[in-house]
Amino acid sequence: MDGEETEDELSIDRIRKATYIHNAQILREKANSMLELQKVYFTVQDTEGSDGGPRNIIDGIDYVFEDGKFYVITGPNGSGKTTLAKLIMGVNPLSGGKILFNGQNISALTITQRAKEGIAYSFQQPARFKGITFRDLLTIATGIEEEPRLLEILGRVGICPLSFLDKEVDARLSGGEIKKIELATTIAANPKLAIYDEPDTGIDLWTIGPMVSLLKKELAENRTTTIVVSHNKAFLEAADVVMIINSGRIVYDGDLEGAMPLLDDLSVCTYRNSCEGERDAGCYR
Amino acid sequence: MLDAIDRALLKTVAELEELPKGAYNIRKNGKLLDRHVSANINIETNEDETGIIVKIKPGTKNESVHIPVILSQAGLYDVVQNAFVIGDDAEVTIIAGCGIHCGSSEPEGHAGIHEFKVGKNAKVTYVEKHYASGEGTGRRSLNPTTKVFLAEGARAEMELTQIGGVDDTHRVNEAVLGPNSLLLITERVLTDGEQTAVSTNDIVMKGRGSRANMISRSVMKGNSKQTFYATIDAQNQCYGHIECDAIIMDNGTNETMPSLKAGHPDAELTHEASIGKIANDQLTKLMSLGLTYDQAVNRIIQGFLK
Repeated sequence: MDGEETEDELSIDRIRKATYIHNAQILREKANSMLELQKVYFTVQDTEGSDGGPRNIIDGIDYVFEDGKFYVITGPNGSGKTTLAKLIMGVNPLSGGKILFNGQNISALTITQRAKEGIAYSFQQPARFKGITFRDLLTIATGIEEEPRLLEILGRVGICPLSFLDKEVDARLSGGEIKKIELATTIAANPKLAIYDEPDTGIDLWTIGPMVSLLKKELAENRTTTIVVSHNKAFLEAADVVMIINSGRIVYDGDLEGAMPLLDDLSVCTYRNSCEGERDAGCYR
Repeated sequence: MLDAIDRALLKTVAELEELPKGAYNIRKNGKLLDRHVSANINIETNEDETGIIVKIKPGTKNESVHIPVILSQAGLYDVVQNAFVIGDDAEVTIIAGCGIHCGSSEPEGHAGIHEFKVGKNAKVTYVEKHYASGEGTGRRSLNPTTKVFLAEGARAEMELTQIGGVDDTHRVNEAVLGPNSLLLITERVLTDGEQTAVSTNDIVMKGRGSRANMISRSVMKGNSKQTFYATIDAQNQCYGHIECDAIIMDNGTNETMPSLKAGHPDAELTHEASIGKIANDQLTKLMSLGLTYDQAVNRIIQGFLK
């Protein structure tokens, strides 16, 4: 750094450039649009700020997701990644703007209606239930009760052993087990658009590779448009498009290589001090 | 001998389509309707004719006893005192239940007092279901009491369910645990409208190495009210746990009072209690799998009370 320019100014400049490139891309990509965000806002009353006024968690995002592509959304904690994902599923209501899914305006649809349209969602912190088993969730997701067909689904998903089937999805499950179940119910629903919010948290290192392959396979075989919120290197490397969100705006979208300088600037990597920029800490978190 | 209402009640409380196989005793409107004994299980009326004594021979394996009670007579409050003597090393399932059909404005009720003496290393599974139906406006009350005495190494698993339609209930469960014995109680109560339910549980852990787990699942719909008391009194080295969860729907109310008493330095006692509406993340998850809000609520309650 040349001393004249502070790190903050540098970041802002890069963000501006990235936003410009991103806007140009929107025009190009409109043709294959399967999910389109138009001036999407999510606003809350700020309880932390001094004025107590409204604050945009998602700040007017315009974006077009193409059919059959693998998107990974990353960005610093609190940047709005999960909020954006929840806006698409309808878990959070829009404060402004529109969401089009396969050309249909779904902004006013309930979660249930969006699920029936073909959107599925894996939660970052999956709900736990007393008295509901993995088998029950699969049946709810698919309408299938017959044992052989449920086993088929297990085979297709691969990461959940047979012993999971009759486990209650309650507090006794480990963090990794419940995430595998969450992912499996999402895949089983055969969605057109699958959204995974940090599917790798709590998952052992040996399962992350197969998990990435599984999502890629589902995309290839069923043309499932896939959006993954993650900081994990394995997902970032698998992405067709890496999107970086900061302060409720998309500040970059493109390949991973192009994202790296910005990820460094945003200090998405908290291991920077320990790896001293060698990027060998094993992930870009 | 069994009419249509009897059959419907029997099906609900005892899952019986017809007369059961094995030993049974069916009581209707305060009188014996039918009884059948087996080689290993004897049933006889007690001395003061207030109930029955069921004796299970030591070493009996994989047998069951059905003792349903059905009430369809207006104005009757039926009190019954039953005793179960389970011989050493026996393994038996006892299926009790009370179904009330109320067709008039007069109250009907039943109080079943069940005492279990479980012999050394014997295992008993006790399943009790309570249910009331009928177009009448009379109050239906059910006040069951269970008293369990576990000998050394004995094991009792109690499934106590009140499914619906009962206006008021006061349930009492008492247990005294011998050395290395095990007690598992699961109580599920659903109330609606203006119904009330009180459940009082007293578990005394007398024997060294005894274990007890009390699980309570309550759902309050409408303006109904439930009160739950559970006390584990540990008098020896033992392990005891109370888990009580209550789901509030509509304007239901609940009071839950788990209480732990450690009268011995090696007693390990824990409890967890929760009261609240259905968690939002549960509803959201099931809706994201395609259920409507109402379907999601029903599915969660169904699982919770399963």
